[in-house]
Amino acid sequence: MEKRMICAGIDAGSRAIKVVLIDAESHEIVGEGLADQGVEQDKLASQLFKAVLKRNGANGSDVGAIVATGYGRSAVSIADTTVTEITCHAVGVHRLVPKARTVIDIGGQDSKLLRLDASGRVRDFVMNDRCAAGTGRFLEVTAKRLGVELDALGPLAAGSQHPAAISSMCVVFAETEITGLLASGTAREDIVAGVEAAIAARIAGMAGRSVEPPVIFTGGVAMVSGMTAALQAALKQTVDVAPAPQMTGALGAAILASRQLSGAPM
Amino acid sequence: MKTIIYTCPYIPAEWIAAHGLHASRIVPDHVDADLSLARAEGVCPYVRSFIGQVMADKEAGGAVLTTVCDQMRRAFDIIVRNGAIPAFLMNVPNTWQTPAAQALYIDELKRLGRFLVQLGGTSPSDEALAEVMLEYDDARTSIRSAREYLSARRFADAIAQNRVCNKLHTLHAEPLVEGVPLALAGGPLMRSDYELFDMVEQLGGRIVLDATETGDRGMCPEFDRARLRKDPLRELARAYFGSIPDASRRPNSDLYEWLERELIGRAVRGIIFRRYLWCDLWHAELGRLKDRIELPVLDIDSAGENHLERPRISNRIRAFLEMLQ
Amino acid sequence: MIDAPERITLEEWDLRYEKLYRAGLPQPAYGGPLSRHVSDGDHRLLKLRYDNSPAALRLWNFLLTEEDRLHRARAAGKKIVGTMKDLGTVPVMAYSFDNMVAFYPDGAWWIPCVMEYSAGLLEIADSLGIDESFCPVRAMLGAFVTEAHFPIPNMLICSVGATCDDFSAIAQRLNGLGHSIFWWEIPHRRCPEQAEATAELPGGLSAPRCQVEFVKSELARVKVALEQLAGAELDEERLSAGIRQANLVRQSLAELRYLAFTAEPCPIPALEMLVAEMLAIHYCSDRGETMVVLEELLDEVKVRVRAGRGVLDADAAKIFWVNPVADLQVMNLLEDCGGRLCGTEYLFTHALDPIPENVPPLEALARAALADPMAGSSIDRAERICSDVCRFGAEAVLISRIPGASHCALEGQVISEVVADTLGIPVLEIEVPPVADSMSPTVRTRLEALAETVRARRRSRQNRWRNG
Repeated sequence: MEKRMICAGIDAGSRAIKVVLIDAESHEIVGEGLADQGVEQDKLASQLFKAVLKRNGANGSDVGAIVATGYGRSAVSIADTTVTEITCHAVGVHRLVPKARTVIDIGGQDSKLLRLDASGRVRDFVMNDRCAAGTGRFLEVTAKRLGVELDALGPLAAGSQHPAAISSMCVVFAETEITGLLASGTAREDIVAGVEAAIAARIAGMAGRSVEPPVIFTGGVAMVSGMTAALQAALKQTVDVAPAPQMTGALGAAILASRQLSGAPM
Repeated sequence: MKTIIYTCPYIPAEWIAAHGLHASRIVPDHVDADLSLARAEGVCPYVRSFIGQVMADKEAGGAVLTTVCDQMRRAFDIIVRNGAIPAFLMNVPNTWQTPAAQALYIDELKRLGRFLVQLGGTSPSDEALAEVMLEYDDARTSIRSAREYLSARRFADAIAQNRVCNKLHTLHAEPLVEGVPLALAGGPLMRSDYELFDMVEQLGGRIVLDATETGDRGMCPEFDRARLRKDPLRELARAYFGSIPDASRRPNSDLYEWLERELIGRAVRGIIFRRYLWCDLWHAELGRLKDRIELPVLDIDSAGENHLERPRISNRIRAFLEMLQ
Repeated sequence: MIDAPERITLEEWDLRYEKLYRAGLPQPAYGGPLSRHVSDGDHRLLKLRYDNSPAALRLWNFLLTEEDRLHRARAAGKKIVGTMKDLGTVPVMAYSFDNMVAFYPDGAWWIPCVMEYSAGLLEIADSLGIDESFCPVRAMLGAFVTEAHFPIPNMLICSVGATCDDFSAIAQRLNGLGHSIFWWEIPHRRCPEQAEATAELPGGLSAPRCQVEFVKSELARVKVALEQLAGAELDEERLSAGIRQANLVRQSLAELRYLAFTAEPCPIPALEMLVAEMLAIHYCSDRGETMVVLEELLDEVKVRVRAGRGVLDADAAKIFWVNPVADLQVMNLLEDCGGRLCGTEYLFTHALDPIPENVPPLEALARAALADPMAGSSIDRAERICSDVCRFGAEAVLISRIPGASHCALEGQVISEVVADTLGIPVLEIEVPPVADSMSPTVRTRLEALAETVRARRRSRQNRWRNG
């Protein structure tokens, strides 16, 4: 049987590198992998890419095109081209949820809200890459300050009776606030719920007055339980988590790679 | 000849020049680690840089600030207390449609004139003022007519210097990049912000409308020559105070009318909205711009630390252009 | 029933209310136990400590029922005017009409605090692009959108020019949402130049005559607009009568302030004084009742002063407070940390100073408007602070930066420098959000340190005096 060409998307994010391989024609996912991000971004991306290929019985000659995305995209030397994570997330989410009109992506160091048209093209986007209080970084700081793992935050938030008010624009000050709350005897559950609500409020602020459904939630923070509920409360909308939310950027990159391979506009 | 430094577009350079002084519009270079400020948090980077530049200036004979923005008004207090050069704060009303506001602006020009005389300037006759106004008007006309031959950066440079460096015929030869036509809107740019123009071009766009304070928008329109001959000071006030649209004006509907006209006229496909952190006047316009103008808007906030912000700004502009392409 | 003055909790107030009620406490129509406001959503009340006098109860009930009064005014066919940014000038004109009520939409800045964010006003402001980099007055936008707090006024009047960018920008955003606004200009107050005619302003200030004339012409425009709304003329006699009424309120408040800031021991808590001062700006939508409320509070304070009784220890550190604080609880915190209020400058001293009565009324209002501390330089403001610090005998200055407020960042520095240069007393800057629970340990540390510093300076002065 003739071997099908595959295309790859590499999302070099701030916390993790993600690789998705797809069939160049059908766009079916044929392999995927994830590794922690590190200092040697190029090397890590290359190692992960090779490992995913190997795991799926493929080699470099099977790969028609590679697109890199994410903050570290320019460091990925094996990529044929680079595309921003905005475009890649839009393409990836559209592939998984064609009816999606709004995409919320909260990553380790930024957050974005994308508005899509019916064809999945980005109509408009807003981004927060200045204030860590609206990103996954805030959750990391909170987990560290409370001495728990990130995974434990969701269950903790679920037990909150009165979410604490977190008001700082800045994670550094917010950390001081958490210290203050702990000192004044506020329950950890209420602190975590307060932090999740603060992140969600920031996203809602970015969204403005109109959020067109369906709203799809992607990025690593989508896997933190409690965040979806916090977003729903803030947006007063149903929010659905994308299948494999961490991988949508890489998937979008892989689809764009296949378009490049076929000569279609990206 | 003494140099008078200023930054606000509502200060007519002609008026300073007509007093026999050199008018120099400051485009601050970068955020100065200014020791005269106890804290930087909450202070607009442009104001911070302006204070730093005025404090460091050993050559200028005087500085002119306006009340257009709250923080500039407070900057005047800092400069008066801690600065070495004489400073003048000109009241520029926010309301602009009433005869009283227009009269106040003229009175303030006259008061500025007295300050300039104290600094060694000479009060100009109407004829002398008219002559200087015509010179400046000609310079602006040549800048405007060169716009289609200039890159956005060179156009901004020409506005800053109030002259076109090259002769028009050599400008025809300058290759201009093709790209998605964009507008750049917002308050004033600092010198280091001019790299935005290059960045946009490198990423596949082109600024065809510089709607910042240091660009097209802040440029005084052409004088009415008949009125200029009849009453030059009144015409100066009409052209500056009556015609330059800005976020600070109340109401600021003229800003949007101007923008709508220019955006259509130049076939703009997207707007890059550039604002400084802590600049409330422009920050508040982002929502209105999105409500009112039916074009995609990219928000770029800046703390004035270009070397740190370059990657994130570039990433945003690239994503914006991917979207428009 | 004579009770010792003290600061009590809401729970304690409820018990006390029962006792007072049974004893036949006379109450206005808006009276009742304080805790009833909690069920309206005013959750912050549960965490505050209050003065235990019936006068203070009336003050609080008056404050917390303003929205009801506005709705009643609307139902009664009165014209409602939202006077924005202007503090104490246009309301004087509006209350000179029989069928008009003025209120201060900017006052919505307290709602996120009092309702502990539950009203969602800041979220609405966020969604309109007015985020936390603006001052808490952005809550006003949310209040206009929800219409859940005050009725939409028949007319909005906003002063611009030498005001603050935050408010100006927020008002413009409101205007962009379809609310028509009558803008009037207040120029930056400057010193008269040589050969310029001078006008004396309240508060010992002066300005060029031409600036007063300009503001007078602006207020004349406002007057015409109000007359059109009211369908009645506002002649000089009526306006003068309005000014006299305003001055009665100011006079009463001036007396209250002087006693509250100078009497030993402190006769009334900082929180009640903050509320009392706020009444002078806009009368909580009822000028006549404002007068009654303030008089009752003043009587209570006089009784306490005469009896030598107060609510705090006699050695409390005397603190002069600059700028209103976004979280009311911080006023309690000052006292919990060993401080007492000894002078205030909440950015509306011109609304506390008497309006001149010896000049034509519009001229008088123009002079009062120009005396706005925000309209002048930070140096003028700092000098007035220094003068009041001396007048009340304060030992330290506390500058409460308003989060996000554009003027605070640079102004705080100038005030600190001038106070330090002129008086050599400690100056502390703090910044607190509308609900400061999470910041309270940090703020507490600073306030305690300030009180300790004041006491240490006292000891050192006493030692120097003893040692000759």
